Amino acid sequence: MSEEAWRAAEGASRLRTFYAKHDALLIGIGTVLVFLLGWETAARSGVVNPLFTSAPTRIVRAGYRLWAEGDLWRHIQVSGTEFLAGYLMAIGVAIPLGLAVGWYKRLYFCLAPFIDALNAVPRVALLPLIVIWFGIGIWSKIVVVFLGAVIPLLINTFSGVKITEVRFLKVARSFGASELRIFWTVVLPGTVPFIFTGLKYAAGRALLGVVVGELYAATAGIGYLITVAGSSFQTDTVFVGILSITIAGVLSVELLNRLERRFDRWRPDARSRP
Amino acid sequence: MPSARGFYLENERAVLGMATVAFVLVVWEGLTRGWWLWRIEPIFLSAPTAIARTAVQLFATGEIWADLGVSGLEFLLGFVTAVVAGIALGLAAGWHRQTAFALGPFFSALNATPRVALLPLIIMWVGIGIWSKVLVVFLGAVVPVYLNAVAGVRTADPRLLTVARSFGSSTPRVFWAVVLPGAVPFLLTGLRLGVGRAMVGIVVGELYAATAGVGFMITVAGATFQTDKVFVGVILIALAGGLMIESLTRIERRVETWRVKVGAAA
Repeated sequence: MSEEAWRAAEGASRLRTFYAKHDALLIGIGTVLVFLLGWETAARSGVVNPLFTSAPTRIVRAGYRLWAEGDLWRHIQVSGTEFLAGYLMAIGVAIPLGLAVGWYKRLYFCLAPFIDALNAVPRVALLPLIVIWFGIGIWSKIVVVFLGAVIPLLINTFSGVKITEVRFLKVARSFGASELRIFWTVVLPGTVPFIFTGLKYAAGRALLGVVVGELYAATAGIGYLITVAGSSFQTDTVFVGILSITIAGVLSVELLNRLERRFDRWRPDARSRP
Repeated sequence: MPSARGFYLENERAVLGMATVAFVLVVWEGLTRGWWLWRIEPIFLSAPTAIARTAVQLFATGEIWADLGVSGLEFLLGFVTAVVAGIALGLAAGWHRQTAFALGPFFSALNATPRVALLPLIIMWVGIGIWSKVLVVFLGAVVPVYLNAVAGVRTADPRLLTVARSFGSSTPRVFWAVVLPGAVPFLLTGLRLGVGRAMVGIVVGELYAATAGVGFMITVAGATFQTDKVFVGVILIALAGGLMIESLTRIERRVETWRVKVGAAA
């Protein structure tokens, strides 16, 4: 084999190893690029009307403009406040209540019908009522976020208490631990993974609440931005809003994953978790 | 004769549950009728009896059926297409790594976005008729169905795969006889999650822009302070969602028993 052919073959095989090693990333980036290019080309060549479909470069430009003018940041602040206030209130209510309901059987019996009923209703269906009660300002969104987030968190905390390892309870009891001590040292640490699962679900529901609440009736916020832009055919702005929401969703889940890993560090082995 | 105490202890859950529900209903009814210290206008809060009366009236006049029919049709069209597409793509992506890599970014992005945020776009594209709701239901349900189908194929028991391969099964046979049956519980979980998302899609789609449907009825009733009607709509939605999830859970249990039997026999 000539030197040149040999080198070419080696280069090809190196390329193949590189591909084999990073095929997930390469195929993923490849398809996304093809998709974006196809979209841009279709919009520029007039195959589709960019008034309806927008185009990647138009979205970037609109995003930059909205950011530079400070509009985007203002809407993000409103939505962020609604999200945080509702989510924190949900945490404040759901975790203590979930622990109590899991610990006291009778309390669970009393509250079960209400928890089940709320769980069955998509909470956003309550929006017309919530708007009647709280108006179209920030509070109606906080309430819908709260209602969305509180149920999954409550149910997960509750099941965390229920699934406490029976052997641990027996050991603690036979060594004479008081009920209070059992609660703090056995039950509570055991619920942490469940609470985190609940927190992740709740974040999704909270985001849904913000978006739907603002689509339905609002005066500011990302959902409001999307609605107004949509009804005035500013498709680029609609996409900027949707992308902001996507980024917020990804960030919140990522943040919770990190927190979870931190809280889980003391666990001796990677038990399988639900 | 069993004592009252014995009866209570045996049915504690039901007794306590019903007692609290009854208590809340009485307090609620009293608030709008002025039984307690202050009175709240019924147009803000409605009352259990008023809600029941409105429900009976809506069904008796047949007014509700048109809305239920429209919402049901939207749900059915969107959900069935989502199940077909989600399962097909999910099985393909679970089986072929490359398909998963190609589809992954799109489904991750969709999964992170509440799909109802796309409503303004969808309305722009397909109008405020039934198709915008079908599309938003489809987008809502397809993501959990797909993700669970992928997980179902990926978690196929490697021992079973090895056995099937060493006895010379062809790849399609391994897929149909080993992978697919193993994925069924995951598929059902995906369907169950999908039902929830589809319900959200219907409600929000109809709240946002529609001309008929239960969500539309709720919006109109809310905007005209017919609080009773709002509650009837909300209860109907809860019942529909609950019924579907309950039937899926039953199917799941059935499938589960079949699986356990086979596992025990093997």
